[in-house]
Amino acid sequence: MVSNAEQGPVRQEAPEYAPGGSAATDAIVVEDVGRVYVDRRSRPTREVTALSGVSLRVAPGEVHGLLGPNGAGKTTLCKILTTTLEPTTGSARVLGRDVTGQSRAVRRSIGLVFGGDRGLYGRLSARENLWFWGAMYGLRRSRLRARAEVLLERVGLADRADSRVDTFSRGMKQRLHLARGLVGDPRVLILDEPTVGMDPVAALDFRALIGELRREGRTVLLTTHDMAEAEAVCDRVSLIDRGRLIMTESTDAVGRLLSGYERVVADDVPAELARRVEALDGVVAVRHEAGRVEVETEQPSATSAVLSVLAGAGVHRVSTARPDLGEVYLHLVGRRGMAVT
Amino acid sequence: MSLFLVSLRFQLRLAPRSPGTLQVWATAPLFTAVFLSIAEHAGRTDLTSYAIVAPTLMGQWALALGIAGELITEERSQGTLEAMIATPCRLSVVVVGRICAVSLLGITAMAEAWLVAGLGFGRWIAVPHPFVLGAALLANAAAMAGTASILSSLFVLMPSARIVQNTLNYPLYLLSGVLVPLSTLPGWLRPFGRLVFLSWSADLFRDALDGAAVSGPAARIAVVALLGLSGYVIGALLLARVLRRVRRLGTLTHT
Repeated sequence: MVSNAEQGPVRQEAPEYAPGGSAATDAIVVEDVGRVYVDRRSRPTREVTALSGVSLRVAPGEVHGLLGPNGAGKTTLCKILTTTLEPTTGSARVLGRDVTGQSRAVRRSIGLVFGGDRGLYGRLSARENLWFWGAMYGLRRSRLRARAEVLLERVGLADRADSRVDTFSRGMKQRLHLARGLVGDPRVLILDEPTVGMDPVAALDFRALIGELRREGRTVLLTTHDMAEAEAVCDRVSLIDRGRLIMTESTDAVGRLLSGYERVVADDVPAELARRVEALDGVVAVRHEAGRVEVETEQPSATSAVLSVLAGAGVHRVSTARPDLGEVYLHLVGRRGMAVT
Repeated sequence: MSLFLVSLRFQLRLAPRSPGTLQVWATAPLFTAVFLSIAEHAGRTDLTSYAIVAPTLMGQWALALGIAGELITEERSQGTLEAMIATPCRLSVVVVGRICAVSLLGITAMAEAWLVAGLGFGRWIAVPHPFVLGAALLANAAAMAGTASILSSLFVLMPSARIVQNTLNYPLYLLSGVLVPLSTLPGWLRPFGRLVFLSWSADLFRDALDGAAVSGPAARIAVVALLGLSGYVIGALLLARVLRRVRRLGTLTHT
């Protein structure tokens, strides 16, 4: 999908983020942002807190993942950063400009990419879509047309440039979404669930394209609830749940932070033995189904204890593993899955 | 190419794929036939120009008002409104450019009405002042776009504004002398009619179709343009204010 043609200037390598660096040089600075919606349609009116005291900084050239279940507040934060929603409290700046007081300047430097079918004109062709959106960013005539051609080539849609968008597959629409987000040549890209509904091959292509954006020095804020995606493309991730930021760390550091967590998997385990394992200190979760038990521990000593008990009971088909980012996430936000609160 | 022209061309591309935009071509001949039949029945063949001008303006205005609301509703439902608000463009310019496209398309309704009068009723109306008519048609199309853009802000604020849209048409036709001359309205109502650009446009169109010399055409066209510009300024200010409000309330995507 990704063509090498006309990829634009390579600006810089993605930097190592130094916590405590200057807020003035960060691409995105979010300080104690809160957002409360007042639902006036309900009787009596009720207040819904979508974000509460969120602070976040994203370095220039960084690909930052915003992870959380549906309803966690990811999209609300994206809306605030793209100036389509004002924060109730706190402040946010993009490239040093306040999203409320200098919203027009912010809009010139950002690109917004949605996931799914929304955000495109289905009755127009891919090329016509890019012409229109390019004009929204002030591009005109030959520059606009050239930019559209470059982007169509880049996202692999040059052959379908004159086809109506409503005939496109989900993956093709998503590629066009990305082209639309890039049409104004933004330094900061906000990708809101960009791979939702994509097939695995298309999602892999999309990740490769994000890698290119990083190499060009663009800052990317990517919301997702796909842990594998965050691990594959992000320099750092922030975990958000119920409107609160739980942590921000490098993808690797999140794993290290939770290195105490281990998973023990064993087969042919009777229910009574599973209950004994569950009662051990340091065991945080046990799932037992059809003789297979999955035990999660939060300290190495607990893992040893679990292995001893299993071995003592004659269970020999045992394995251990480090948790992936998804499991880390679940440890942090609790096992309420992806339910909307 | 300015954002206005880009938006205008964008809407022209969408128009053939939007059946709603084409309705004026279906209704204008029917209205013309109705008005001509009434005039004929009353023995008022002198009202033929009314029967041509009224369907044209009614169709154009219905189109302009329709798209003013529809474009916000559609943009909102397909997620493009939010994406557009996140760009540095002025939404009011986009809105007025797009409405202007359909009101320009609506001009063709006059040709239809003229043909219906000729072919259906044997009344071939001469156009003794083609340049005045042409200039008036263009000024009127622009004024329609400017005035109708006021409604777009209402649709951003209230997705259910359609009821307002639907109730605006006929009172305006009456008030502006499109259906009947302003002189037949109650005296206290006439000054209000002169504040509506349509009353100036309707008079200009009818005068341009009349054999007598048109008095002060440039000034009258300027009044149409100025009233339309006023509508645009009011619409742009309202839209900016409404956008600030929906950003604050978080209701931009509410349908």
